Amino acid sequence: MPSRSDDHQWSQQHLSHYVEGELGPRARRRLDRHALDCVDCGRGIRAMRALVHAVQGLDGLAGVRAPATIFDRVRLAAAGGSPSSPHA
Amino acid sequence: MPPLAGQRAPGPAGTEASLIARAQAGDVGAFERLSGAYADRLFMLLLRLLGDRGEAEDVAQEVMLRAWRGIGRFRGQSSYFTWLYRIAVNEANRVLEKRGRRPAAVPIGADELQLPAPAADDPARQAENSELRRALGRALAGLPPALRTAIVLRDVEGLSTQQAAEIAGVSQAAFKSRLHQARLRVRAAIGDETLVTTGG
Repeated sequence: MPSRSDDHQWSQQHLSHYVEGELGPRARRRLDRHALDCVDCGRGIRAMRALVHAVQGLDGLAGVRAPATIFDRVRLAAAGGSPSSPHA
Repeated sequence: MPPLAGQRAPGPAGTEASLIARAQAGDVGAFERLSGAYADRLFMLLLRLLGDRGEAEDVAQEVMLRAWRGIGRFRGQSSYFTWLYRIAVNEANRVLEKRGRRPAAVPIGADELQLPAPAADDPARQAENSELRRALGRALAGLPPALRTAIVLRDVEGLSTQQAAEIAGVSQAAFKSRLHQARLRVRAAIGDETLVTTGG
């Protein structure tokens, strides 16, 4: 049976997988049980969830468009033929 | 690959497979149509990895040139999107490594790029979000490229672990480890209290 210290170390290493729902049922129960009594791990779960939520929810680059020049080098290379063409 | 938000897949008149075949035969118009469908997303990715619009524009041109030069070797073992993104990640990291520096901040939201901010009902909440965005940008910029790539691909871009690992060129297990390390560092940089009160 793992000690509390083993459980703590293991839980800290699996917080990311836990919040993504990637842990199997047994592993999830192990972390749930430990987090009930461990302030650090309980806070860790909340902080990790908040972090992922914050990063996912702050995608404000929807208005960004690629520059019109993005194919300029391709066009130059294609106009010049080899050595830049796909068949070079 | 499932369709992604903001992605304009080639239409029925030019399916991706036929555009790839035509591009491989040297049709630059087909290549532009094929790759142009992903150009906006690719440019956003480069902005996030490089943190500088001018540099992102330069690297975006280079990525397209490398893709054009390499498309003859594309065998369809991954989706075209994954293949193109992988070139972009490699090129961005190569540039960062060559210049021996990290971006000052990683643009996360509209305000960093002087775009109109989305409307918010509560000004206090909007200010908190802006502050959190800036803190996230700084924290992401402080990560080594491999860790920043992991969190940008998975959490910001919203790709699956499988896709993101393929683009990063590592196994899924290695990718998950990088992602975990990246999240731990960003969490430590921002602080649990700020995250839970502002980001939750």
